[in-house]
Amino acid sequence: MRNRSLSFWLFLTPVILGLGIVVVIPFVYGLIYSFTDWNGLTANNFVGLENYIKLFQEDEFMNSIWFTIKFAVITVLLLNIFGLGLALLVTRNMKTNNLMRTVFFMPNLIGGLILGFIWQFIFISVFGDISGITGIEGLSGWLSTTNTGFWGLVILTSWQMAGYIMIIYIAYLENVPKELIEASKIDGANAVQRFKNVIFPLVAPAFTVSMFLTLSMSFKIYDQNLSLTNGGPFNSTQMVAMEIVRTAFSDREMAYAQAKAVIFFLIVAVISLTQVYYNKKREVDV
Amino acid sequence: MKKKRFYSGIATALLASSVLAGCSFGSGEESSGGSNDGGGEGGNGEAVTVDVFQFKVEFKDQFEELVSMYEEENPDVNINVKTVGGGNDYGASLKTSFSSGEEPDIFNVGGPTDVDEYEEYLADVSDTKAAEAALEGTLNGVSRDDQVLGLPFNQEGYGLLYNKKVFEEAGIDASSIKTMEDLKGAVETLNSNKEELGIKAPFAFPGKEKWVMGNHLANAYLADEFNHDVMEAYEAETVEFAMGDQMKEFTDLQSENSIQPVLSLDYSQQVEEHFSLGNVAMIQQGNWVYNTIESMDQEFAENNVGLLPIPVEGYEGSIPVGVPYYWVVNKQSEDEVVQASKDFLDWMYTSDKGKKFVTEEFKFIPAYEGYEDQEIADPISQEIYNYAKEGNTLGWVFLGAPTAWTEDALGVAMQEYLAGDITWEEVEKQATDAWEEARQ
Repeated sequence: MRNRSLSFWLFLTPVILGLGIVVVIPFVYGLIYSFTDWNGLTANNFVGLENYIKLFQEDEFMNSIWFTIKFAVITVLLLNIFGLGLALLVTRNMKTNNLMRTVFFMPNLIGGLILGFIWQFIFISVFGDISGITGIEGLSGWLSTTNTGFWGLVILTSWQMAGYIMIIYIAYLENVPKELIEASKIDGANAVQRFKNVIFPLVAPAFTVSMFLTLSMSFKIYDQNLSLTNGGPFNSTQMVAMEIVRTAFSDREMAYAQAKAVIFFLIVAVISLTQVYYNKKREVDV
Repeated sequence: MKKKRFYSGIATALLASSVLAGCSFGSGEESSGGSNDGGGEGGNGEAVTVDVFQFKVEFKDQFEELVSMYEEENPDVNINVKTVGGGNDYGASLKTSFSSGEEPDIFNVGGPTDVDEYEEYLADVSDTKAAEAALEGTLNGVSRDDQVLGLPFNQEGYGLLYNKKVFEEAGIDASSIKTMEDLKGAVETLNSNKEELGIKAPFAFPGKEKWVMGNHLANAYLADEFNHDVMEAYEAETVEFAMGDQMKEFTDLQSENSIQPVLSLDYSQQVEEHFSLGNVAMIQQGNWVYNTIESMDQEFAENNVGLLPIPVEGYEGSIPVGVPYYWVVNKQSEDEVVQASKDFLDWMYTSDKGKKFVTEEFKFIPAYEGYEDQEIADPISQEIYNYAKEGNTLGWVFLGAPTAWTEDALGVAMQEYLAGDITWEEVEKQATDAWEEARQ
């Protein structure tokens, strides 16, 4: 920390400038605007906390927050289960390992918008046709109710992100020492016991990473939401990010939307900071 | 140590000053007299540069072609065209260019709400030939006191597009359908002969698209309440749904006889998959779908699409026709730029070359007089122009509703109604409450 010379600042300048121009300054602006009646062109009055009081009384915004929280909790669970499952699958000694890893990771490389449209087709047309042929009621009318819209989003996100989480688990799984596994075999542990008592505790740090990664990811989802349900039906599958965009650009209440964004920022920030906190703690433990 | 503090001090100061400089509120008004880009080059005798910022992506290429024709005729005018995708994106980018100081000289506004928002930038264009030629009623939304602040883009209209062949085979005479009862009869005929006609349902009702219901469907039944005047809607304290019963009836008729489930049916499925491919006999849409249908099946688009009016009591045989967007000129540009902008718009809509281009290349339904000798490009537009010429029209009042009301209040409520969550009375109540709240 002592030797911050001229060159130190020189090397840092591009980053500071970049970060300042695209993150810090707009953020400060946004914060200030959220206390005004800014309409995108001019801000004439400071209105104090009015925007913030209003947003806590707005049903639509609170609904979108609840919807996002529900979505986040379920997606985080499913993502970690699938991610770990896939990772266990591709770390067994099989010839198709590399191929399968690629295949599972691939959905992650396709943009969220396109995936949304692909799954929209699957949910509406393919599911509809299957239900027409087999007569299974539950497969028709997907995305036309709040529930199916919700599960549609969960399925889409799990399918897209599971491969990414899988990679994290693979890294940890491959670091499990062979001799420990051998020892457990010699001691007569069966596969379930081995997983529960040997592998699982050693992979535990991966949970922390994956959990918070998926948590912040599922909070900030926008493009999948936009292309799959576009908030429909009746704005009931609208997540926070989308609600903010709507407020800003179709209701044209820029300052109000900004206030919502600040609240949203606080929520995501709390999650991320908790993540850092726990990660640090675990690093010490291990 | 001292050195370090010095540099970090400078960095902090720089950051702080740039933040402070940007924070002067109301700076838009202060800089009003200042130059904007383009205007600065327009000195005496030199070329005048006009910056156009427009939203209609569909005709970008044709518009640029028209612009280069104009530049050839007028070598001292230089026009830059910037196009940004329709709908919400345009509004946001327009705001961005204003707040960053790159104000365009010609841009587009939608309804009265936009006009109010940008009023301090809008030049009076009542002295143009185009404003004189504009059809009666098309300037309502942009008139303030004696001033005319915008020139209409074109006219658009909608109704029930029907498949002529299916109607013929079912033995339905489209011209005899005027009232709700007539339409119900036709739907019944179609329903009972579905298999022979090869259709899956009479309608495709896109319940997913809030604008189809909240803007268009509702407008047909709200126009009378506001005397077909967008400004009356804009100033109204409340909305009564005087024709609410008919609106419910028409919504029910469409949704019950539609391909199911309606709530996940969207615009593209409605137009491309179901109507263009002959799965349904009717859809509620307007002339803007022509190019889409044409790209699916040219023969069908040219010969087999007809237009039925939406049945509204007292207005049988009328369709809603209106102006979706206006051209406006930025009055804070320099005088010769403003003049050049007006000249260009005049030329586009009133010169012979311009008129020909507007109808043939843009495929617009003109909102101006003096187009009698022009061929209107597609059959749907032709029918709408005929309705408009004979005065059989309903006004477009939905642009005068409170911002986002049509979709986020009415459209959402109608979706809840379609889902069976609320009754029609609650739809009207929710929508009325939202309107009144916005107008307080």
